[in-house]
Amino acid sequence: MSYQTGVCNFCGTGCGHLMQVENGAVRGVFPSSTHPVGRGRLCVRGWHIHELLNTEERISRPQLRTDGALIPVFWDRALDEVALRLAGFSGGEIGFWASPRSSNEDIYSMVRLARAVFRSPNISLQSDAWYRSTVEVLREGSGRPGAYGSISDIRNADFILVVGTDLTRQNPIIASDIHFAARRGADVVTLSTRKTQMSRLSGTHLQNRPGTKKMVLAALAKVLLEADRGGASSAAVSIEGSDAFLKEMEGVNLDRIEQDCGLPLPTLRETALRLKAAPKAVFVFSTGISGLNRETVALIWNLFLVAGKAGRDGCAILPATGVSNLAGANDCGAGPGVLPGSGPLPDEAAAARFKGLWGAEAEIGPGRPVEDLLADASSKIKALVVCDHDPEINLYADRLKSLEYVVYLGSYANPFTDLAQAVLPTTTFVEADGTYTNTERRIQLNRRKVDPRFESRPAWEIFSALAARRGAFWPFRSSADVQEEITRAVPAYAGATHAALEAAFGGIQWPLGAERPFGPFRFVEAGLVSGPAPAGDEFPLRLMAGKSYYYWHQNNIMKKTFIPRREYNALLLLYPQGLVDVHPDDAAALGLRDKRPVRVVSARGAMTPLVRVTDEVPPGTVYAPYFVGAMIPDFLVPHAGAVERGEDAVIPVRLEKV
Amino acid sequence: MTMHLLAKSDVPRFLSALSGRFEMYGPQVHPESGDVFFDLAADGSRIRLDAPIPVNSPKFAVFPHWERILSYAYDRENKEVKIIPEDLVRPKALVGVRACDLTGLLCFDRFFLGQEFVDEFYRAHRRKIFIVSVTCTAPFPQCFCVCTDSGPYAAEGYDVNLTDLGESYLLEPGSEAGRALAAELGLAEAGPDAARRRDEAVDRSISLFEAKAVENKAWISRAVNRLTTGFVKNETWEYIGKQCFECGACSFVCPSCSCFNIEDVNRQSGGTDRLRTWDSCSFEGYARMAGEHNPRRPVEDRRNKRFFCKLSYSQSKKYLRPGCVGCGRCVRVCPGDIGMTNVVTAIRRDITG
Amino acid sequence: MDMTRNAAAVSLPVPAEITQIREEIEDVKTFYFRFEDPELERSFPIRSGQFVMCTVFGAGEFAVSLPWSPEQDRRHLSVRSVGKVTSALHGLRVGDKIGIRGPFGNGFPFAELSGRNLIYVAGGIGLIPLRSSIVHALLHREDFGRIILLYGAKSSRELMYRPNIEEWRKRDGFETYVTIDRPEPGWDGETGFVHTLIEKANVPIENTTAFVCGPPVMFNAVIGELSRRGLKDDCIISTLERHMKCGIGKCQHCAIGRTLVCTDGPVYTYKQIKTLGETI
Repeated sequence: MSYQTGVCNFCGTGCGHLMQVENGAVRGVFPSSTHPVGRGRLCVRGWHIHELLNTEERISRPQLRTDGALIPVFWDRALDEVALRLAGFSGGEIGFWASPRSSNEDIYSMVRLARAVFRSPNISLQSDAWYRSTVEVLREGSGRPGAYGSISDIRNADFILVVGTDLTRQNPIIASDIHFAARRGADVVTLSTRKTQMSRLSGTHLQNRPGTKKMVLAALAKVLLEADRGGASSAAVSIEGSDAFLKEMEGVNLDRIEQDCGLPLPTLRETALRLKAAPKAVFVFSTGISGLNRETVALIWNLFLVAGKAGRDGCAILPATGVSNLAGANDCGAGPGVLPGSGPLPDEAAAARFKGLWGAEAEIGPGRPVEDLLADASSKIKALVVCDHDPEINLYADRLKSLEYVVYLGSYANPFTDLAQAVLPTTTFVEADGTYTNTERRIQLNRRKVDPRFESRPAWEIFSALAARRGAFWPFRSSADVQEEITRAVPAYAGATHAALEAAFGGIQWPLGAERPFGPFRFVEAGLVSGPAPAGDEFPLRLMAGKSYYYWHQNNIMKKTFIPRREYNALLLLYPQGLVDVHPDDAAALGLRDKRPVRVVSARGAMTPLVRVTDEVPPGTVYAPYFVGAMIPDFLVPHAGAVERGEDAVIPVRLEKV
Repeated sequence: MTMHLLAKSDVPRFLSALSGRFEMYGPQVHPESGDVFFDLAADGSRIRLDAPIPVNSPKFAVFPHWERILSYAYDRENKEVKIIPEDLVRPKALVGVRACDLTGLLCFDRFFLGQEFVDEFYRAHRRKIFIVSVTCTAPFPQCFCVCTDSGPYAAEGYDVNLTDLGESYLLEPGSEAGRALAAELGLAEAGPDAARRRDEAVDRSISLFEAKAVENKAWISRAVNRLTTGFVKNETWEYIGKQCFECGACSFVCPSCSCFNIEDVNRQSGGTDRLRTWDSCSFEGYARMAGEHNPRRPVEDRRNKRFFCKLSYSQSKKYLRPGCVGCGRCVRVCPGDIGMTNVVTAIRRDITG
Repeated sequence: MDMTRNAAAVSLPVPAEITQIREEIEDVKTFYFRFEDPELERSFPIRSGQFVMCTVFGAGEFAVSLPWSPEQDRRHLSVRSVGKVTSALHGLRVGDKIGIRGPFGNGFPFAELSGRNLIYVAGGIGLIPLRSSIVHALLHREDFGRIILLYGAKSSRELMYRPNIEEWRKRDGFETYVTIDRPEPGWDGETGFVHTLIEKANVPIENTTAFVCGPPVMFNAVIGELSRRGLKDDCIISTLERHMKCGIGKCQHCAIGRTLVCTDGPVYTYKQIKTLGETI
């Protein structure tokens, strides 16, 4: 048969597909009708993944920079050089940037290389801060650093709360499940400032003012607390952590909620009571670049608890991961504050485990995220190992250029190659065996289907070879060997060997083996919730930045396809300088016209995108989808933390007609 | 033509006769996922004539998902260009084609071969195709071919049609090549009651639609009428458009959807491939023009484009029948739950109030 | 109209050599070419109003209307650089090769135009698809009534085919009116929008066919003025431009409602355009 089963490598939904392979090349893709997640569906990206895999824009050979130019060299020469050069730095001087698209095996090998060979604890993912804080909240609240419940809970849910970004764009098949639930009669509530397709498919759209998401969540919880007080006893009081939670809730003034958030209290009250009454409730929110910060996720969890949903069958909290293996990368230790499968460092049990697995010399202490090191002018970072990273060059351009040594490993050409001293071609996910963990902790094995194109090699093999050159001989002859070590390194993955995963079509959800189930449940500290800063006269509008349609990881990957690239360009064509969404009322008041330039001025910067007049934003709000690269350095970067805070960041601006 | 009986024990011999002279495609059950795929088979042993309707339509055998239609090399220094046509002609046997999918292929024939221009790439693929269709003796939940007049029995277009009569298949040659195959295999002639038994099998199949084809809610003819006369309310299109996830799946699984994209890709090894890949009119960028506005903006317009293509009379003239063949695949793959049957229902509701 | 059409090259592009390049206006160049194949070079029959698919080797293919006339006229394409493929074309030099498929499309209905007044109304690069027809009509001058060109552009720098226009101006029996949107130094011709020329030229309405090509705003203004004066919708013809991949009615990229611009068009009467339900 020319169709071979596999897992889509775009977002973290983890849909099953069948790749059509002919004469050693991928020629088409089809959804698997029996796969437990996708159930016969793929999104626009998934339906075109074969276009990406056929691209000629691949890094084809190992290259070393000589006299300013990258020169192709043999693999041995490249590996010798990279191992030698990296050995010239101390551990603290090297940063390791891992990719949430990499397999668990590749991630784990990179972590081991960093900590056990070059003794650097400075490992991070581009989405590290977001997802890491999300899973830490869930670990504190539920005992497990991952999704609580499963995607399949959506289809049977009575009540679904969707917070934030448009899921129909980021995780379309999860959104599809929500849509099917709504058509079956589920009560779907979306909390987002913008009108999105998700909000249009919802029965209730809580369209809050920008920057008030936390207040709305807190208000919903407070309504339930107050409703409970009328009963025999408040169930919430008996939950661990309730003291702090109740104190936080005291600060929430329901009387001011409409004024602050733009949502009438009766609407919120009804919504909260419907949630309370629903036997099966599922909360979904997106993580990644437009994710939610720790406090927001804590409020989501606390609302889930106070509504009495934790521990109930069919209830779930799903932090939808925007990239295929974001969850697995996190499980496998791609963060400065964790080891594979550990809690926050220091973690005694994990330390002992890794001294055993990696040797006494391994660096097992906490490090710093690479982004912090790049942003901090006083940090000692001098070298960087980057794997399949979408360019964040815009954010740290100057510092990156000043580094002494940058190694880039990747499949596809991207701007990182312009500043790397060494470039090493890696396989794509169809050219090597690997496991990937989706949003709902589902570990799936994706088999190699075609030979590596050009001279590419799997990243774990490259890391192994580098380790060997530094005298560390790892016992890995295949990615199955790496996965076998992962099953011992990450307790929740115990038993998830390639053989076990091969036998389980659709994969296995962790925790496996002797791991305890979820719980005990406790409230997570969310801090006091305050209202948004009032808009002033000088900057009367609130600008929020976020994802756009077809925008996915600055589109470095999408640009190598035909159809998704074209769909991205369709918007770019209409608004080539980028765009800001402005409500028709604001546009009329300021005399702004669609597709005409407007100057957006804040206290720190200015940009001149085109106007898109749309009622997708409420009056008083300006939305900047940052799908045009230049908007980030020109405007967002000067606002410290604006990019990091995603849609929670609100920048006061004024619009000037050009 | 004379009808024959193909004993079920003779099916392997029948298939190996085909695999000896054709690349053979047929329904196969994927060993891991259990999905049924219509796919290339090394030999007849993997082909399951009794498998459920495949998730993919056999159209890919004549209209591949992704294919090189020509290549060229331009030596700019010497101003020499070499254009290399692709030889796409291969003898292929499509075995176990269901009536709906065969109808889709006939739509393709009429569209690609029968309009003002012949699509030469399609013609090359189609040239040496041998089709073995099968009568569906029972429908599947998603089926509504009885509403689109495209099943469960194939009326035309096959070289050989098989109808399961229990212990054997009734083999009806539909072409000279089919007749020659039957003769070569020395198959017994079917008795005088064969046609009656076939008709009974078909009638029984049709009678099962009520109970088994439970996803079938389509009353196509009313929708055809409504679409053709343009009396579908805007609100109906908006309702449909709002639910579209713009994934293109409906087009990709459709046996009669033939929209394609063409891209020139420069190979690292030198030279350029001209690729033809599946496309869908439901995408926003589909009709855009370089440097200009997009004439087909609102999502509901694009949605109705595809449904016009499947159901309107003007498009039916190109296919000599409605474009929808009632296979129900779009119902199964749509993330927005707006497969053809739901669309038809929405249009009917619009009619009835 | 014949039901089965032939084209010199349907599926495979045929190589042609660029023999001369002329900069017309900003972002628009004219590329003269000759076919490698002497047989094609001798005979490549076209009708005014048709188009070809042009391959820029290594970049891709695009549809472009034919500006040369079916009679003795050098083969050339006038192309604005707007996307990846057209800008690659602009990077080519004399001696470089391009590929041609076609010709495709219906062309202008000259068989029905005999004896009629022909009014050409063009805005900016809208003159490109009309050029072939103008040259053709002038070669058969005796077959028609009045022939009038009303041409406008934003500025004098944006007027296409200026050498042709100068030549046409001198011809008897061809009335040429050229306008630019606003006065500018050194311009002593008409100013104002092109639809205002309709009055100035005293355009006839009886027994008249108007060819209208240009940007949507100009198109609508001209149509409005002609209709106001009583010209019937089926006496106004235009050519539509759409994104195309195949040129032969298969890829469906250029579908508008029930029509395919590549095979049913690109030439339509305004009466037909009005029923298409999409923007021009």
